[in-house]
Amino acid sequence: MKQKNKISFFFVTLLLGLMLAIQYQSTNENENLDTKDMWELRERYIEAKDYEAKLIQEIRTIDEKIAEYKKVVEHSKGTVLKQTLEELQTEAGLTELSGPGIIITIQPETSFFPIDSAPTGYVSPDLIRKLINELNMYGAKAISVANQRIINTTSIRDVQGETKIDGFPLRTFPIEIKVIAEDEKTANKLYNGVQISTIPDDFFIDNLSVSISEVKKSITIPAYNHSIKVDVMETVKDEGEQ
Amino acid sequence: MWLPILGLIIGVAMGLLTDIQIPDEYSNYLSIAVLAALDTLVGGIRAHLQNVYDEKIFVSGFFFNIVLAASLAFLGVHLGVDLYLAAVFAFGVRLFQNIAIIRRILLTKWSLSKKE
Repeated sequence: MKQKNKISFFFVTLLLGLMLAIQYQSTNENENLDTKDMWELRERYIEAKDYEAKLIQEIRTIDEKIAEYKKVVEHSKGTVLKQTLEELQTEAGLTELSGPGIIITIQPETSFFPIDSAPTGYVSPDLIRKLINELNMYGAKAISVANQRIINTTSIRDVQGETKIDGFPLRTFPIEIKVIAEDEKTANKLYNGVQISTIPDDFFIDNLSVSISEVKKSITIPAYNHSIKVDVMETVKDEGEQ
Repeated sequence: MWLPILGLIIGVAMGLLTDIQIPDEYSNYLSIAVLAALDTLVGGIRAHLQNVYDEKIFVSGFFFNIVLAASLAFLGVHLGVDLYLAAVFAFGVRLFQNIAIIRRILLTKWSLSKKE
């Protein structure tokens, strides 16, 4: 065989080998194909379905268990007690509250007086009490006077010529009275009620002017910051189950 | 004699090492090309043994056969007729004929050398 012929043979066999290898690899890949017939595939499908159903059932039982546990926690005595305590604290005024409401500002009236004889401003406890009563009448949920939360046992009284709310003197003007209501509708009612009430006139007699703000979306009223003294109260003895 | 075998080995090694893969739809063409190449190779060996070997015919036959077989398969796919079977048939028959001729030539050579 001549040298030249050998080279052409070499290249032809090289190409043939390359093609064979590629073809081998390509067909080899296809051998991994699923060659099961329809019934076998059906069986496997059914098996997979069964497995799926089993898994779903398992998930459901576990979910149920979670719900049960949640229920147990919710209805446990501790949670109920805690919840009741929170509710009572809110009712008693021991928690901060916020909601829609109005702000009433009280200032000494100076415009009718010469500068040197202007009144220093004195808010009588009766006025404050009347205002609070009226506000409660119009549906106030919580009230604070000069950032002092008004609760059922709050004392508003005159101590040596100074009006004190739970010991806090109303000395600095303007005095802000924050009132919040349950919702915006009640807040509007509250606003209207204060507008038509005779309270501003009563204040004016004492040389005080009252300005009432529009209904605000969110007003925060501080918590009652003194301890509540309970003198004439006794716990009810449980006579039932024990 | 060793050079064509070496070429085959190198070709296979290259093909396996480069990890080239042909998409499924083209594997038909490649298989028929392999068949054409094999046919040309066996034809070349036969021609060489018969002393009628012509390099131009061999090389051109190699590529022409591959292209023809592949285009026949292509046409078959588009016509909806398995035309590549024609190529397979033709190459198969020729492959067997050529191998038979090679066998006879080798046999006669072997018996001649035995007599001597």
